[in-house]
Amino acid sequence: MNAITPFVVVFRRECYRMTSRRIYLASTVILPLLLLFFMCTIFGDGQMRHLPIGIVDADNTATSREIIRNIASVPTFFVSQHYTDDVSARRAVQCKDIYGYLSIPKDFESRIMRGESAVLNYYYHYALLAVGGEVMSGFEQALIPVRMAPIMLEAEALGATEGSMQTFLLPMTSDDHALYNPSLDYAVYLTLPIFYIMFQILVLLTTLYALGSESKMGTARDWLQSANYRTMVSVGGKLLPYTLFFVVEALLANYVFFYWLRIPMAGSIGLFSLISVLFIIATQAVAVILYSLFPALSLVISVVSMFGSLGATLSGLTFPLTSMYPIIQYVALLFPLRHFTEAMQRIVYYGGGFTSIAPMLLVLCLFPLAAILLLPRLKRILLIRRYDTLE
Amino acid sequence: MYAPNVVREVPITVVDHSHTALSRHYIRLIDATPEIAVYSYTEDMYAAKDQMLHGEVFGVLYLPRDFEQQMFRGEESVFPFYASTDAFLYYEALEKANLQVMEAMDGMYRMQLVEFLTPQELLAVASRQAVEVVGTALYNPDEGYGIYLIPSVLMIIVFQTLMMLVAMMTGNECKNRLLIPYSRLKCDRNHVAMSLVCGKSMVYFSLYGIFSFFLVGLLPLVFNIPHKASLGVLAVMLIPYICATSFLGLTLSRWYTDAETPILGIAFFSIGLIFLSGVSYPLELMPWYWQAVHCIIPAAPAVLAFVKLNSMEASLTDVHSELLILYAQTIIYFFLAVAVYKDKLQQEDTNYKHS
Repeated sequence: MNAITPFVVVFRRECYRMTSRRIYLASTVILPLLLLFFMCTIFGDGQMRHLPIGIVDADNTATSREIIRNIASVPTFFVSQHYTDDVSARRAVQCKDIYGYLSIPKDFESRIMRGESAVLNYYYHYALLAVGGEVMSGFEQALIPVRMAPIMLEAEALGATEGSMQTFLLPMTSDDHALYNPSLDYAVYLTLPIFYIMFQILVLLTTLYALGSESKMGTARDWLQSANYRTMVSVGGKLLPYTLFFVVEALLANYVFFYWLRIPMAGSIGLFSLISVLFIIATQAVAVILYSLFPALSLVISVVSMFGSLGATLSGLTFPLTSMYPIIQYVALLFPLRHFTEAMQRIVYYGGGFTSIAPMLLVLCLFPLAAILLLPRLKRILLIRRYDTLE
Repeated sequence: MYAPNVVREVPITVVDHSHTALSRHYIRLIDATPEIAVYSYTEDMYAAKDQMLHGEVFGVLYLPRDFEQQMFRGEESVFPFYASTDAFLYYEALEKANLQVMEAMDGMYRMQLVEFLTPQELLAVASRQAVEVVGTALYNPDEGYGIYLIPSVLMIIVFQTLMMLVAMMTGNECKNRLLIPYSRLKCDRNHVAMSLVCGKSMVYFSLYGIFSFFLVGLLPLVFNIPHKASLGVLAVMLIPYICATSFLGLTLSRWYTDAETPILGIAFFSIGLIFLSGVSYPLELMPWYWQAVHCIIPAAPAVLAFVKLNSMEASLTDVHSELLILYAQTIIYFFLAVAVYKDKLQQEDTNYKHS
């Protein structure tokens, strides 16, 4: 019995190749760590606080100043400028100096005192959706007491208790709960999924390059030979070193996210790590599949970068998948990222156990199987070398 | 891709322990909002939680046993509403719709509760009016998601594909030793390097001039996303953008040795660029070093400028800071690219002499 199996030969050969070029160091070590650092720091402290807003106070009375003080005390806002009219405030929004403004009309106070209807207008920047939403909810929250203030003040002046008025004005009150992320922290919401979205692009590209560089450099026959022309062994042995690197980095990332950044985790970290390992393998399998289908390196790179970015859209992370057209929802099933995101949400948010993510686990296992089915084609491509010179 | 563009009919489940006319009225109204669809009725919170776990619903409305009694007894009737934060857009839609239904219901039943008021309170209610608060969404009136994201993606596509093109050309040039004839020219090397950079950029520029006008000028028309800027205004922004990008690509070509490797690196950064541009998360809240990176990469200020010009109908003076960054980048990267090419020519020359 030979001690060195073909698998080990290919594995060693790949390790040697990995140390021979800087690109491998960059793609397996430097870029993932950079990515981890990027995701950990980009959101600052994750809370949208101190967003610059403006005030247009045409009224200039005690009431309007009271409202402005109220607004200024909201943590979301930072009143950076007072404007004399709506036009200049609108210009400032256009320059993105401020993300929104509150406009208090002339004779606001006197209308309230006369018992006439008074209107407060606020405007928020919705071309930038995320910030706009935050500014809107900040204004809504801050202006709730202002809405009923005239009635409350009058009632108080007439000797009524505050409580009964409150009940009359809002007889039923909804007590809203944001599940899983009560502080609506952007770091909690995006860090983990975006890391894996960008990580899968890296995994796809690196795997692809590892495969494609063989035929590019004309070493494909040598590679297959070292595994006695068994495609399964040669592909497996070749990709295993990368898998190991990526798995270690994914585990490191999970450690950083859950222990350092303290991202809330309802389920088991072990189970999540299992699914991230499976996700990496499935992603590598997709790279093998795509390379077998489009064997020219420069072509397949474009296909993969498209696949990677589409995956980001179709994962349903930012814009919910169920709100897209049904056909797109079916297309999304072809992306490992979609299944990973679903499993991730179930574990991290809902505290789902093994049974609840079993379907996704199974589907993720299907990707490598599909890749194995395409191996004969890959072998033919590598041996015929028709596509090597194709630019 | 984002075709419906807005979030509609988000499924929720209802746990109705009240079983009264009031609770049924509330459920009917919440089902009638465009944002929410009542997907199921469940017996208790455990069943509701189970449905959430399986991704069938994204919110739970719980109406307690004394929902109606509390209300008509003149007490405050509080009911919990749970919304999932898997996607913030879902949460926002659910919260907004629920708030609107609550306010509508409060308005409808308020007059039935007048009997609980004391005469003074009644007087207060009769003599004063509530302040009306009106919020207006600027630049994206139908609150669509595609309208928000697609313009930035278009600009990133221009950047990424141009960088890839430059990488492919210069990578091949390095691999196939195409610079040797230029390095043998008997004239000032500065001059040759400058001509090389200019000549190459001219080609990229004319190619991308057409491509980007198709992408940012025509596509928004076809897909009906905002297209408020005139072509002339866009050109003022696109010219330095394309120049800066191609000069940056030529500068980085110092490290390109073949056509494929750099493309891998460039493809990796696409999503990061959207974040750096500051359209999804405000730039002001990022740490200083990412703000600095924002100023180094042409795509980041260009995305911001494009969104301002095209979606917000800003004038050129409104985007002066972004334009300034872009023009500064153009100049700096031009000189860097020339320096890099001078260096490359020098290297090729010595290599040639050695061989």
